[in-house]
Amino acid sequence: MNTIANIAFRNLSRQKKRTILLGSAIAFGVMIVTLINGFAGAFSANVSENFSNLMAGHIFISGTEKGPNDKDMSVIRNDSSLTTAVEASGAPAKYITRRSAFSGTLIFEGKKIRTNVDGAQLDKETFLRERLLLKDGSWDSMTNETALILSEKIANKLNVDVGDRILVQMQTVNGQNNVGEFTLAGISFDAGIFGQMMSYANLSYVNELLGLAPGEYQTMGVMLDGLKNTEVSATEIYARLNEAGVQLFDRGVKDETGAETPFQALLRQQNKESWEGVKYRLFTINEMLSQIKQIVAALDTTAAIILVVLFVIIMVGITNTFSMVMFERIGEIGTMRALGVQRGGVRSMFLYEAVFLALGGAIAGIILALIAMAGISLINFGMDSPAFLIMKNGHMSFYLPPLKAVGNVIIIALLTLLAVSSPAAKAAKLTPAEALRTQK
Amino acid sequence: MGIVELQNVRKIYPLGKVQVEAVKGVSFCIEKGDFISIAGPSGSGKTTILNMIGLVDQPTEGEVFLDGKPTSKLKDAELTRLRHETLGFIFQSFNLIPVLNVWENIEFPLLLGKTRVGKDEKKEWIDHLIEEVGLSDWRKHKPNELSGGQRQRVAIARALVTRPQIVLADEPTANLDSATGEQILELMKKINRELETTFIFSTHDARIVDTADHIIRLRDGLVTENRRREEIVAAACAGSGA
Repeated sequence: MNTIANIAFRNLSRQKKRTILLGSAIAFGVMIVTLINGFAGAFSANVSENFSNLMAGHIFISGTEKGPNDKDMSVIRNDSSLTTAVEASGAPAKYITRRSAFSGTLIFEGKKIRTNVDGAQLDKETFLRERLLLKDGSWDSMTNETALILSEKIANKLNVDVGDRILVQMQTVNGQNNVGEFTLAGISFDAGIFGQMMSYANLSYVNELLGLAPGEYQTMGVMLDGLKNTEVSATEIYARLNEAGVQLFDRGVKDETGAETPFQALLRQQNKESWEGVKYRLFTINEMLSQIKQIVAALDTTAAIILVVLFVIIMVGITNTFSMVMFERIGEIGTMRALGVQRGGVRSMFLYEAVFLALGGAIAGIILALIAMAGISLINFGMDSPAFLIMKNGHMSFYLPPLKAVGNVIIIALLTLLAVSSPAAKAAKLTPAEALRTQK
Repeated sequence: MGIVELQNVRKIYPLGKVQVEAVKGVSFCIEKGDFISIAGPSGSGKTTILNMIGLVDQPTEGEVFLDGKPTSKLKDAELTRLRHETLGFIFQSFNLIPVLNVWENIEFPLLLGKTRVGKDEKKEWIDHLIEEVGLSDWRKHKPNELSGGQRQRVAIARALVTRPQIVLADEPTANLDSATGEQILELMKKINRELETTFIFSTHDARIVDTADHIIRLRDGLVTENRRREEIVAAACAGSGA
């Protein structure tokens, strides 16, 4: 069988141009698919990492209290038990952040827009300054108590400039209507579809608008040294909080209908329960962004569809080429059969040739994709890019899971074998006399 | 019974809607160690008969016996095995495998089948054959780097490498100039004498026919003459004496 494989391998060099063309077609298909896989592989991690920076944490703990008329109030009044649990958990926490937020309507000269405003300790959250680049205005202006940073998209809709005063209508944690006034301190570069989520103000002023007392806030964020430790650390912190007797919402809750993500189910859980004092909810950036996984799955499905469509086209070419090859080598097939090569040997020769071609093309495609990935990731799109949320520090990044690459190679090898199976079967079926008679 | 025997063999080919009878009931016997020529003009059925003896084609009717065994009931795999073990082939167009060099082309049949030959024994035998056919300096060359005569020498060595009982040569000199053709024929004859291999070759060249020990002449798919050389010579002498 080695002899047949050896001949098949050497046969590839007989029509160099044809081999190169077929190999290039395979390589191109594999390159495209590998690039998509590589992009999808890094997409989830990049979005989660960038979001964790903008939202100031990988793990979040928020408190909820039953207020008057059984209304839920989002508040953390005393976080000593929380910080103790974080420290005791051994989680690699870089720092802890404290935030409050509301959803309100911003009004400027008759124009209105609804948005979320995050109250942050901007003097402490220096990393936010690095992530959120300003197009206009300055972070230094945030020393003003009522300062606000809006995204370019919202600022354009409201037609506001730095220094303008913007009215806000919102509700306190008790559900009472409240009105406040912000001064626009900066306009951040638009971050695409997430643009509207990014309005930042000082925590103290947001707390005041929400009706929270000084020192109180709504969500504690635990920023870890990286995304990879998130789930393990969250489990540990949750266990420590449980041990300390802190009232907690069950983390394992799932929506039985499947209509909600686990995070949505967790949020809804509080409506079904009653308790006294503050009850805490622990969740992670991964749970919040569980829909990102659906995007990654969609990207992977797209890659698989592209792989199949491209290869159906390439397969037609391969089938035609190998049919031609069979007729070109018909005399050779006759000779080999006369000398003692069995039908299976002739079939194997064509199939080996196809596998070598597929492997060569696929490996070349993966190498090309890796080179392209390396090249693209060198380009600095900047933190002001509309797509910065899917990038890593302003650079496109890729991660190609090795199993996916191997899987692609196997799929291509199988598809190529399928494409060649018909000409190979025809070649094997030829009687030696028929083949020798037909030879040129 | 000889090493090859044909009993009332017919071969009909379908050619579109027409049936062409290439061989019309042929019977003859070939003895072991014969140097036999199947002669006749184009279309007389030489190649068809050679193909049937070589088990690359099956008769429509009749039986081909190889070493006393009937072959018509054998399956494709068995025929292939029998071809590999018993027969060697030399083709008019040499039919070497273009991607293999001289040494590898000769080695190729040894790598097929189930019988394995020791590495040293194999090397020694192939080197001997290469020397025998006078291609010692060309062993690493590919077929496209050889002349027609050299290619046919490689084909002869390849046909002999499995030590077959019978070598079939279809018009082995047709694509060669007359001097090279004679050399090839000399070589075949020398091997026939030394190894006692039965050589069956087809030709339409009268000069080559005369070198054979046994001549079978064909015309329109029928045997018109089947005589050993000594009989032909005796008949000629008798004719001239009268």
